[in-house]
Amino acid sequence: MALHLNLLHEEIREQRQRQRDPLKIGMMVLGALGALMLLYYLWNAYKVLEIRNRLGQAQHDWAKVEPKVTAAQKRSAELNGIISTTKVLDGMIDGRFFWAPFLEKLSRCVALNAQLTGIDGTVQDDGRISVSIDGLAAGREPRAAAEELRQLLLEQLGQSYREVKVEFKALEDLDTIVNIGGSNQSMARFGLNAIFSTSSAKSSPTPGPRTRNR
Amino acid sequence: MKQIQVKLSKDQFQKLFLSAVGFIVLVYVYFSFFLGPLSSSRDSALAQIDDLQGKVADSKSELTKTAKLEKQAETATTRFAALKALSPEGAPIAWFPPRIKTFFANQDIDKATARLESNSAYKEADLASWTRYGWVIELPQADFSTLGRAIAALENGEPLLSITRINIKALSEDPQSQQVTLTASTAMVKR
Repeated sequence: MALHLNLLHEEIREQRQRQRDPLKIGMMVLGALGALMLLYYLWNAYKVLEIRNRLGQAQHDWAKVEPKVTAAQKRSAELNGIISTTKVLDGMIDGRFFWAPFLEKLSRCVALNAQLTGIDGTVQDDGRISVSIDGLAAGREPRAAAEELRQLLLEQLGQSYREVKVEFKALEDLDTIVNIGGSNQSMARFGLNAIFSTSSAKSSPTPGPRTRNR
Repeated sequence: MKQIQVKLSKDQFQKLFLSAVGFIVLVYVYFSFFLGPLSSSRDSALAQIDDLQGKVADSKSELTKTAKLEKQAETATTRFAALKALSPEGAPIAWFPPRIKTFFANQDIDKATARLESNSAYKEADLASWTRYGWVIELPQADFSTLGRAIAALENGEPLLSITRINIKALSEDPQSQQVTLTASTAMVKR
C-alpha cells in the first residue's frame, strides 16, 4: 500500500471551516429571508396602492354626492319641522272653543219675559268652559221663568257639549213690577253658573270660508 | 437510527448566536417598520372605503326619502305657508289692533279697540319660532246678534286666534246694546 501524505490538510480544513462558517450560512439565510420578505412587502405595498386608488375613487364619489345629501338632510329636517309644527298648530286650531255657537244657543233659550244683563265666560285650563249668566225674569211666577231658562239652557247645551251643569248661583225676587204686553208682572233677578266640557263632543264653528282643504 | 453529532467550537457558537440575533432583529424591523404600518394603512383605507360606500348607499336612500317626504309634506307646506301668512311683517302691536278695528267695523261694530296684554314663548319645541300674544279686545257698544255674527266670522277668519274669555254687559242707557270685552290669544310667527 502506497503511503499517501496529505500535505495540504490544514488548508483543506480551513477551507472546510470557512464553508461551514455559521455566520456566513446565517447571513445567507438572512439574505434569502430578507429577499422573500421584501418581495412580500412589495406585493403588499402594491395591494395597498390599489386600495388607496379605490379609496380615492370612493372619496371622489362621496364628494360628488355629499352636497346633495347635506341639502337633502337639511330639507328633510325642515319638512319634518313644518309637518310637526303644522300638526301642533292644527291641534290648537281644532282644540279652540267656539263662542259663536254657544252665544247662538244661549240666545235661543232667552224667552220674551227674560233679559240677560251680563255674561262672563271663560275657557279654563283643563278645557272646561265656565259661564256666569246674570239676568232678570218677569212673570206671574218670575222664579219659574228663571227656572225655565235654566232648564232650556241645560237641554240646549247638552245637545252639543258634555258634562253640562247649569245651576243657580242666585235667585231673588225684586220689588219692581214691569208691564209686559199690557199686564203688570213681578220680577226676579237670577244668576246662573254653567259649566261644561268640549273634550269629547266639540262644537263645530259656524260655517264660513276656510283657507284649508281638509 | 444514526445520531449526528455536530460539535461547534466556541467561535462557531458565537457566530450562530449572532446570526440568531440578526434574524430576530430583521423580523422585528420588518414587522414593526415595514409590514405593520403598511397593514394599518391598508386596514384604515379599507375602513374608510367601507364607511364611504355606506355613506353613498345611505345617501341614495336619503335622497329618495327626502323626495318622498317632499310629496307627503305638500299639504302641510301649503297649510304652514297659509298660517304663516296670517302674521304679516312687523311688530304685532303695530298691525293687529288696526286689523281688529277694521274687522269689527266691517261687521258694523264701531270703536273696537285691541290692546296687547301679554306675550310669551310656547313650551312646545315645535313652536319655537312662534309666540303667543294675549290681547284684550273691547267693543263698547254692540248688538247681540251682530256680535254673534262678528265673533263667528272672527273665529272662522282667524284660525290662530282663540277667545279665552268673553264678558258681555248690558248697557243700562241702551238696553239693545252690550259692552263686550274679549280676551284672546293668538299664535304669531316671530319676526
